[in-house]
Amino acid sequence: MIELIGGWLAAVMIVWIYSFVYKDNVLYRLAEHLFVGTAAGYSIALSLDSLNRTAFGQMVKGVEYWHLIIPILLGLTFFFKYSKKYYWVARYGVGVNVAVGAALALRAAPMANIIKQINAAVLPLWVAGDPLKTFNNWLMILITLGGLTYFIFTFFPKTEGKAGPVRIAYKALVTIGIYGMMVGFGYLFANTIMTRVGFLIGIILQYLQPRFDATLVAMILAIIAIAFAVLKKK
Amino acid sequence: MAKEEKRRPFGMAQIIYTLLVISIVIPLLNPVGLPIGISSTTRDVYNYIENTLPAGKPVLIDLYYEMAARAELEPQVAAVIKHLFEKNCKLVFVSTITYGPIVFELLKSTAADLFADKTYGVDYVFLGYIAGNEPAVRSLATSIRGTVAVDNYGTAISALQMMANIDKAEDFALVFIASSGTDTFGWYVRQWYTPYDIPLLFGALSVIGPSIKPYVDAGQAIGMLTGQRSAAEYETLVGRKGLGLASMDAQSFAHALILIFIIIGNIILFATRSKPKPEGGRRK
Amino acid sequence: MSVVVRRNIPQIIVALIIVLMVIFYFFYIEKPVSDAFGTADKALSDWAIVITAIAAIVGGIDILRYHANQIRKRERRQIIFSSIVIVLEIIMVSLACYALSSGIAITTQPNFQWLYTYLYAPADAAMYSILVFYIASASYRTFRARNPPAILLLIVAIIVMLGNTSLGAMIWEGFLPLRDWIYNVPNTAAFRPITMGIGFGLIILGLRLIIGKETTWMGRRE
Repeated sequence: MIELIGGWLAAVMIVWIYSFVYKDNVLYRLAEHLFVGTAAGYSIALSLDSLNRTAFGQMVKGVEYWHLIIPILLGLTFFFKYSKKYYWVARYGVGVNVAVGAALALRAAPMANIIKQINAAVLPLWVAGDPLKTFNNWLMILITLGGLTYFIFTFFPKTEGKAGPVRIAYKALVTIGIYGMMVGFGYLFANTIMTRVGFLIGIILQYLQPRFDATLVAMILAIIAIAFAVLKKK
Repeated sequence: MAKEEKRRPFGMAQIIYTLLVISIVIPLLNPVGLPIGISSTTRDVYNYIENTLPAGKPVLIDLYYEMAARAELEPQVAAVIKHLFEKNCKLVFVSTITYGPIVFELLKSTAADLFADKTYGVDYVFLGYIAGNEPAVRSLATSIRGTVAVDNYGTAISALQMMANIDKAEDFALVFIASSGTDTFGWYVRQWYTPYDIPLLFGALSVIGPSIKPYVDAGQAIGMLTGQRSAAEYETLVGRKGLGLASMDAQSFAHALILIFIIIGNIILFATRSKPKPEGGRRK
Repeated sequence: MSVVVRRNIPQIIVALIIVLMVIFYFFYIEKPVSDAFGTADKALSDWAIVITAIAAIVGGIDILRYHANQIRKRERRQIIFSSIVIVLEIIMVSLACYALSSGIAITTQPNFQWLYTYLYAPADAAMYSILVFYIASASYRTFRARNPPAILLLIVAIIVMLGNTSLGAMIWEGFLPLRDWIYNVPNTAAFRPITMGIGFGLIILGLRLIIGKETTWMGRRE
C-alpha cells in the first residue's frame, strides 16, 4: 500500500514539475516547494550522517582522533555569519576549509593539468608509413597551440602598422584555435542533446510508465491548473 | 520568471515540447530494436578490464551523480559491476555527494541480479556519503579507516571481513568514477593518479565526456564511458540488457526529431536571408 | 575588534596552511619529519571534511530562515508554500535525529527512506531533466548557420548526433568511426587548452590566497 502511494506521488510530482514548461501554475509551485523542503532536509540529514561517521565515530575510537574537535569548533563558527557584530569569526572556519582545498589543488595541478597535458601534446610530426597518424598529430598540435594562443589575455602582438610574421602567425593560430574549439563545442552540443533526452527517457521508464494511471490523473489536474492560470491572466 | 509569465500557453515552443515527448514515448512502447555498433573507446575499456585488470583485486567505485543522471550512469555502472564481479573483484562503493545513499539503494534494487549471489562485507561494501569534496578524496587515498569510522549501515570498517587488507590507495587496482560533475574527475586525477599512479576509469555523462577527454588522452585514466550510448555498448559486450539498450530506440527517434527542427530552423534562416533588406545589410 | 583579528590573522592562517602543505608535499627532509607531516596533512583533509559537513547544515538552516521570513511578510499565497517547505524540512531532520538517537543509519530509517525515494528523488530528477524541453526548442530557434565557425559547429554536431544513435548507421556505416575520430583528435586538442587553463587557474588561486590578494572567501567587505 505504502509503495503504491509512493509510486503515485512520484509520478504526480514529475508531471506537475514538467507542467512548468507550458505555464507556471499552482501545482508546479506546490511540487517545487515540496521538493525544496525535502531537499533541504535531506542535505542537513546526510551532512549529520557524514559528521557522525567521520568525526564523532572516529573520536570514540581513540585519543589520536580527538584533534577532530578543532574542525567541529571551526565549523560551528559558521553560525556567527548571522551576527552583525561577530560575523568575522566565521572567517576562521571558512579560511581553513578554503586553504586546505586550495593547497590540495595547487600542489597537484602543475603535474596533473599542465605537465602531463604538455607531454601528451608533444607528438612526432612525421610518422613513417602512416599518413593518417601524421595528419592527426599535426591537427592535435596545431589546435592545442591555437587554443592556447587564443587564451592569451595578458599581451597581444602589435596590431598597428604593417603585418609582421609574428602577427600573421598569431592570427593564423588564433583562427585554427577558434575552429578547433568549434569542433569541440559541436561535439559537446550533440552530446548535450544525448544527455538531456537520456534524462527524460530515464524518468519515463523509471517513474511514469510503471504508474501510467497516476501520470494520466496528474496530467488532467495539471491541464486544469494551467487553464486556471491562463484565465486568471486574462 | 517575468519572461515566463508573458509566454502564450501554446506557442511554437510548446508544440515542440509535445512532439518531443511523443517521439520518446512511442518507441518506448513499441521497441524497434535498431542495431548499435561498438565504438573503439568502449571496447578499450572492456579490453582493459577483461585482460589487464588483475582478477580478484579491490576496486573503488565513487557514485557521484544525482537522480536525473541515473538514466545515463546507472546502466554503465551496472554493466561495469557485472564485468568486475565476473572477475571476482572486491568492490568498495563510496559517495562524495549527498545523493550517494539513494543511488546506491536504487542501483541495488534495479540491478538486483548482480548482487543476488554476492555477500555484503565479503564481496562489496558501501562506505556511504563522505562530505568534503577534494579533501575527502585525498583522505580516502591515505587511509579509509582513518577517514570514516563506520560504513553506511553503521558497521565498523574494521569489522568488515573484506576490508581487512584494504585501506589505502595502493590497495586498489582500479578506481571507477561514475560522476555527473566535471570536477570529480579532476579530484581523482590529482589525488589518486598523480601521487599514487592508481588506474582510473571515468564514467561520465555524454555532456561531460568531451571536456575531460584530455585526461584520458594523456594516460591519466585508462578509459572513459560516456552516457547511455557507451552503456548500451557495454551492455552488449557483457551480455546484460539494461536501461542503456532499452533507451537507444527512443534516443534515435528524439535525435531524428531534433535534426528536423535544426533543418527547419536553417531553412527559415536562409529563406529570410535571401529576401533583399531595405538597408541592403545582411543579418549577422 | 581590531582589523588584525578580523582580517589579518585569518589571512595568515590560510597562507600558512597552503605554504606548509605545498612545501612538505614536494620536499623530503628526513623520515620522522616526513611521517609527522603526512599525519598532519591527512588530519587537515579530515578537518575539511568535517567543516564542509557543518557548512552544509548551515546552508539548510539558511533555507529555513528564508522561508520563515517569507511567512513573516504575510503574503497569503506564499505563506502556504513556505510552510510546506518548513514542515517537510523539519520532518526530514527530525527523522534523521531519531535515527541517530536510536543508533541506526539515517538512510535506512524507513520513513526517511520513503520520503527520499518517492518524493525527493523523482522531484530532483524532474527538476534537472526539465532542460531537455529548452534544448529542443533552442535547436529550432538558435542553432543556425550564420557564419563559418557556426557552420562548422553545425556540421560536427550533426555528424556526432548521427554517430551517437542508430540513425547514422542506417544511412552510412562510417558515422560511428568518424564520430570516434572527432572525439579522439580535434575534440581532445580543443579541450586540452581548457584543461591546462583550469590548472593555471588553480595555481593562480592558490598563489593569490598566499599573498592575500584573494579575499572573496571572507564574505562581506568592511
